[in-house]
Amino acid sequence: MTQTRRSLVIAALGGLLAASPAFAQEPAGKLVLYTSQPEKDAAQTTAAFKKAYPKVEVEIFRSGTTEVMGKLAAEISAGQPRADVLLIADAASMEILKKDGRLLAYAGAKVDGLQPGSFDADKTYFGSKLITTGIAVNTGAKTRPTSWNDLGNPDLKGQISMPSPLYSGAAAIMLSTMTARPDLGWKLFEQLKANEAVAVRGNGAVLRAVASGEKTYGVLVDFMAFNAKAQGSPVEFIFPKEGAPAVTEPVAILKTTKNEAASKAFVDFILSDEGQRLALAMGYIPAKPSVGSPSWLPAGTKINVMASDIAAVVKATEADKARFATMFGN
Amino acid sequence: MSLADAATTRTRVVETGLLWGLVLLVAVLSLLPIGRLVFEGLAPGGALSTSSLGKVLASQATWTATANSLVTAIAGTVLAVLLGGTVALLTTLTDIRARNAFTFCFVLPLMIAPQVTALAWLQLFGPSSTLLKLIGMAPPLGSKNPLYSREGIILLLGLQYAPLVFLTLRAGLRALPKELIEAGLAAGASPLTVLRTVVLPLMTPPLIAGIALCFVSSLGNFGIPAFLGIPGNFLVLPTLIYQRLAGLGPGVLSEVAILSLLIGLIAMVGILLQDYMLRRRDFRITTTSSAARPFELGRWRTPVEILLWTVAILILALPFLGLITTSLIPAFGVPLNAKTATLANYAYVLLEHAASKRAFVNSFLMSGAAAILIVVICVPLAYFIVWKKSRLLRLLNVAAELPYAMPGVVLAIAAILLFLKPLPLLGFSLYNTIWIIVFAYLARFLVLGLRPIISGYLQLDRTLEEAAQIAGAGLVRRLVTIIFPLVAPAAVAGALLIFLTAFNELTVSALLWSSGTETLGVVVFSFEQGGDSTYASALAAVTVLVTIGLMLSTLLFAKKLPQGVLPWRD
Amino acid sequence: MARLNIDRARKYFGSYTALDDVSIDVEDGEFIAVLGPSGCGKTTLLRQIAGFDKLDGGEITIGDRLLSSPERHVPPEHRKLGIVFQSYALWPHMSVAENVAYGLTVAGVRDPERARRVAAALDLVGLTGFAERRPGLLSGGQRQRVALARCLVTEPSLVLLDEPLANLDVHLRASMEEEFSRFHERTGTTMVYITHDQAEAMALADRIAVMDRGRLLQLASPSSLYREPANTTVAGFIGEGMVLPARLLSKPEAGHCKVDVLGVEAVMRCRPDQAASAQAKICLRARDFSIARDEGGLAARVERLSYQGGYFRMEVRPLASEETVLHLDAPEPAPAAPGETIRLSIRDGWVIPEADLAA
Repeated sequence: MTQTRRSLVIAALGGLLAASPAFAQEPAGKLVLYTSQPEKDAAQTTAAFKKAYPKVEVEIFRSGTTEVMGKLAAEISAGQPRADVLLIADAASMEILKKDGRLLAYAGAKVDGLQPGSFDADKTYFGSKLITTGIAVNTGAKTRPTSWNDLGNPDLKGQISMPSPLYSGAAAIMLSTMTARPDLGWKLFEQLKANEAVAVRGNGAVLRAVASGEKTYGVLVDFMAFNAKAQGSPVEFIFPKEGAPAVTEPVAILKTTKNEAASKAFVDFILSDEGQRLALAMGYIPAKPSVGSPSWLPAGTKINVMASDIAAVVKATEADKARFATMFGN
Repeated sequence: MSLADAATTRTRVVETGLLWGLVLLVAVLSLLPIGRLVFEGLAPGGALSTSSLGKVLASQATWTATANSLVTAIAGTVLAVLLGGTVALLTTLTDIRARNAFTFCFVLPLMIAPQVTALAWLQLFGPSSTLLKLIGMAPPLGSKNPLYSREGIILLLGLQYAPLVFLTLRAGLRALPKELIEAGLAAGASPLTVLRTVVLPLMTPPLIAGIALCFVSSLGNFGIPAFLGIPGNFLVLPTLIYQRLAGLGPGVLSEVAILSLLIGLIAMVGILLQDYMLRRRDFRITTTSSAARPFELGRWRTPVEILLWTVAILILALPFLGLITTSLIPAFGVPLNAKTATLANYAYVLLEHAASKRAFVNSFLMSGAAAILIVVICVPLAYFIVWKKSRLLRLLNVAAELPYAMPGVVLAIAAILLFLKPLPLLGFSLYNTIWIIVFAYLARFLVLGLRPIISGYLQLDRTLEEAAQIAGAGLVRRLVTIIFPLVAPAAVAGALLIFLTAFNELTVSALLWSSGTETLGVVVFSFEQGGDSTYASALAAVTVLVTIGLMLSTLLFAKKLPQGVLPWRD
Repeated sequence: MARLNIDRARKYFGSYTALDDVSIDVEDGEFIAVLGPSGCGKTTLLRQIAGFDKLDGGEITIGDRLLSSPERHVPPEHRKLGIVFQSYALWPHMSVAENVAYGLTVAGVRDPERARRVAAALDLVGLTGFAERRPGLLSGGQRQRVALARCLVTEPSLVLLDEPLANLDVHLRASMEEEFSRFHERTGTTMVYITHDQAEAMALADRIAVMDRGRLLQLASPSSLYREPANTTVAGFIGEGMVLPARLLSKPEAGHCKVDVLGVEAVMRCRPDQAASAQAKICLRARDFSIARDEGGLAARVERLSYQGGYFRMEVRPLASEETVLHLDAPEPAPAAPGETIRLSIRDGWVIPEADLAA
């Protein structure tokens, strides 16, 4: 009780301070960040943050989402989580941490201008960008699907690759989001199964399959496809007309943080215009539409993001994954 | 008289001290992480609960994965033994040419990460295969790649671990004196009969050691089933563990711990079986003569050489070429030609990316330290296990299997659980230092050194040690001056296995690294994950080249080493 | 100084008794052979003396120093013994000189003293000039000499030899036997020589300890072992003795008594205190028979003849006891052909004192 009340007070105070930066004491000390961002992005993010808050020393652990969460789980179990802030791919993992009471509510976070629905209503985690999932196509493909349901076309038989929801949190969100929609539903996955679609571990593997021509079509995240294309890979990206399921790479503060001021500063930075422009520069769609849209996105394109109820996803995900496993099992 | 008594007491103190030191060390390296996992499995968060145990045991997936793990590990081992064993026999006992070069090429694939090998083979059998197109047998676009199957996993496990059998068996074969073969031939037996009735029976210890290593390696391998099994949802225990870990949620650690213990249990059954097979038989080789004169293959020599090099090309050159190709293009999928070829990836990883350089030094030092320390531990350890028949250590010998059999990520979790808090009494924490990785390496790769060295002991005539003992040499002196030189070929084979495996290792350090202590595996993985396969390939290619350089440089001082120590030098 | 005393030594391997109350007292400077078939416990005994195994009962002392007992065990490296192993156990990674020098190095002897003693030892075994060779390149006999030099260079007061000639060919054996003999004379070292070859044991040893199934059957000089075996096993093992049932007909008189063997009466040697018995055993040698010209003696059918150079070894079956096979030596020309019946007279023999011991 006391703990909760105190953190509420601190949160409120923090909000006040953040609201009037002129009076705020400058954050300093060590900040431990656990992230599943790609290596280059993680390095850029921390470098930019350090520039904005020179007194904060950032210590970073970067790995795959599974590894980051595994490390965190072990630390929690040993009773001493070391991370202050998390920046990981999907909101579902955040939702689980929130349910366990591991996340700190940051009431004072500046969420103005952020894409609605990209942050938690209780202000425990905040989407930093939009990573949508669409269809990547090898340039040698004969047909171009425009809709998710086109992947059920028998002409595409044996040519589809997708990330396995059993191993990737983002793909699990996609699965539960898509199967919950009446126009797609499990029917789509049954068609994918009939088309001998292959589920691989992670988006990197999908990109490789499509870029190398081993598979012609792939269910893939936008930025990877566009970055590869920009470097010359024979890959095109299509936003399906039903909409693209998205993850938000949320940032959150752990309740056990040892440096709350710096943690809040980090969240502030990620959500600030500067932080958002950084995400944009890395080739992502920022969570704050006002800073602009990435160069690969034709001007004026309105991305149709498939709405997703995270709470419902978390509830359904176990059953959905089990059903997927049986379906695509041998 | 009292002087002699004091010496006797000192001897006893040294021996007992060494024994208990080893017991303690192996217990800390093997039992401690496992014990911590058992604790996590049965009492998550400190409160006793069997709910995770029940959940895991009741799950159909657990048993499917167990069955699949058993099948792929056994079949993969059989394949590796056939391939590695045949190659070891041919290169050691026959008169094929350029055998040193061949040996060199055959052990190198250990250096190449399983996922690189897997990708190369997928491309070889897939619709875009250059080779299959060349012979007009490429499957039509969109047809299912045959490697995405149980058989594919078995094939690649067999290829990946054939060098393990090769190295252990070759070390054993080189200790085989020529008289034994000549005696067989003189008795009128054909070379094949001699092979079957003399050579192979005497090679039982290294062969069994190789089989055991292969089995446990295959059982714990994550990279190959992750690449080939996930698409067909063909689950094995390590991939199931990753699945659970990705699922997060409460109780995930205890479920993962229980699944890991299941792998450990299977590995232990395998090792007990090995122990049983080696018992009650005598494999000692008692003469001190020089190595056997090779069998002449005659007109079969050239065909056999062609066959061997084809195998070498398939298992080394193919993935390595894939690696090189990818490292020379600007982005994945861009065809390699004079116009697209670029060295920019190399420039980036070698010059710009600071972590790559650091990772090189870190991986080199940590793998080297692990290899040397493990050999230093294993020579006395195997002494007590094989010759002193210490019961305690024989049990620990089985326990040493566990950290190697379980997925690296689980060992890493155990290490975190153990070392997150400051060490009792000492007051400092290993966490976030290079030492937690070194600890994990020692725990994980101990068995890679122990198996070859134990097999080395089994082939050794103990009177060689007893002669030194009678000459008045104490245990430590005997270990240094007599035993170590005699088991050196086996020890070097073990050290090499450890170094090559650890240099490339990812799954352990992926959880344990921190800024400044990144390993090569971590950096390659990071590139790979961010979609930067080209950087990853460049770094991996440099790694392989550096290792080749290191291995070749050993030839410079090879003359000073006892004969038969370096596997790639006759 | 180097008197070796083994007192009621016992050793078990699980439920198997490898040494069963073995007691041997070896005099200073004595050459003792331990003789027996493989598995008799002789190698176990050697390993007890060397200290490779721990004793389950009894004691082993050298001089006045207790080395082994169930409570006390001096490790081999502190026993100051020398051993020549059957397999030679030369260290393949060291040169001949390094092999020989090892014990000196361990004892802290430094050059030039060490080099001098190594050279002397190699000279003694006739291997001067081989110092830098690797053992792998030497012949069997040369290896044996290196092993001997290595063992002797530290001048141990007790040397154990474990079937040292078993791996050598016949010619080498003879010359090495001589060499051992000379060594023993020159150095006065106490030697315990393990062998299964009785000719070797007879030729070399002052006394021979015959072992079987973990027990010491008899410890005696070669001659008394041959002439007066203590029990049937020794009688049968040594010198191809024939053990036959007999009935004692008289009390011992001046070391002889009358016996009835296979229905024939003969006079044999016996112990002065030999008790009369209807179920005694006697030991006969081939040379105890002679072929009788008259009708007396033992009738036997000739089974087989084999030429041995100058004489024939004959195998015969007594008509009175068809299942018994006897052998004797007859000078050229052959006195009878196979299938013929001859008559044998028994000139000598020995009444085995403990006939029922190892039946």
